[in-house]
Amino acid sequence: MDTKEERKERYSRQTLFAPIGERGQWNIRKKHILLLGAGALGTANAEALTRAGVGKITLVDRDYVELSNLQRQQLYTERDVEARLPKAEAAKRHLLEIDHGVEVDAIIIDATAQNLEQLLGEVDLIVDATDNFETRMIINDLSQKLHIPWIYGACVGSVGMTLTILPGQTPCLHCLLKTIPIQGMTCDTGGIISPAVTMVAAHQTAEALKILSENWEAVRPALVTFDLWRNQYQSVKLTKAKKKDCLSCGDQRTYPFLNGVNETKTAVLCGRDTVQVRPPRPVKLQLDKLAKKLDGSGYAVRFNPFLLSCEKDGERIVIFEDGRALIHGTKDMIHAKAAYQSILG
Amino acid sequence: MIKVLLFAQLRDDLGKESISLEGNSWSVAELKKKMTADYQLASLETVMTAVNEEFADDDTILSDGDIVAFIPPVSGG
Repeated sequence: MDTKEERKERYSRQTLFAPIGERGQWNIRKKHILLLGAGALGTANAEALTRAGVGKITLVDRDYVELSNLQRQQLYTERDVEARLPKAEAAKRHLLEIDHGVEVDAIIIDATAQNLEQLLGEVDLIVDATDNFETRMIINDLSQKLHIPWIYGACVGSVGMTLTILPGQTPCLHCLLKTIPIQGMTCDTGGIISPAVTMVAAHQTAEALKILSENWEAVRPALVTFDLWRNQYQSVKLTKAKKKDCLSCGDQRTYPFLNGVNETKTAVLCGRDTVQVRPPRPVKLQLDKLAKKLDGSGYAVRFNPFLLSCEKDGERIVIFEDGRALIHGTKDMIHAKAAYQSILG
Repeated sequence: MIKVLLFAQLRDDLGKESISLEGNSWSVAELKKKMTADYQLASLETVMTAVNEEFADDDTILSDGDIVAFIPPVSGG
């Protein structure tokens, strides 16, 4: 461990910033954040908050590093792509190179209401870096149920949007969105440029620093949206947006996104020609045995302790230890499910 | 006169940054319906609305001089 003096030196410019100071820095160090998603927003937030001195980060992600990530997912390198490391694990390694003193838990799972709730026991703040509203609505309900603030952030193309939600004070995401929006434009159709990522992450990290340093009065009471290419910036005040009858934060709340009804078993992933297939119940696969079996049936197989990649007839399938699979080269969920079942039954 | 500001994809769909409409006393829902029909837009149902930079419901009634912004929710990350 480094000495007290070294820690002081490391954060000297941040503690000179008057609203944080020594006291704020001490508060930041005590805090535990859950960062959901280790893609573009996830890596940007993780790096900034690690450098800022947050005590513990639980980093949750279901994916692994690919070449098309390097353009904007700032922690990753070509070596991570070659090793096909899961993003949470690769990010953890880079974060510890920046600061060996931060505690990082890398959790390689597809987030659900159940497994997320189990991870939130000691968490002070949730930072959203997911790529879909289904998961955000789960975060939103858990935030209200467990009374944990969260910071929504999203970007596509040159557009970004962010909002801080404080349970008991601000409106929640469900107050603003009556239903889950149909994903009109995704990274798939709209692409993404990296400054849209960093701009959203800058807003999210600033909000996180206010909350972690306990400068609650500084938290932004508005939804921010901007477009870096079309040169637009809009801040929307939310003084009348909180709904008394909101099912997530209102008087008669039921937390409708925690009952599992809304969960999909297959999903087309944002930004890629890929379908994810999830088994109905969690399993623990023996990847070495599966590799042997697939090798024998004509697949080109590669695997590491975390995942297995197999290819046949131009179709590539990546299977994780928990039974999840990514079927590449298709958007057809039925075909993807069939391909999955042809391997795992 | 009501001024409607268009953000992100909507700006490209309509080919301009804003439009002005004669009339008032519409609800936000009625304005969305009218614009969907007039400009052959895909549904504006899930688009968030601000009136004079304040978040507004579908049943908010608009007055002369209001500036309405339609903001499509962003999902990627």
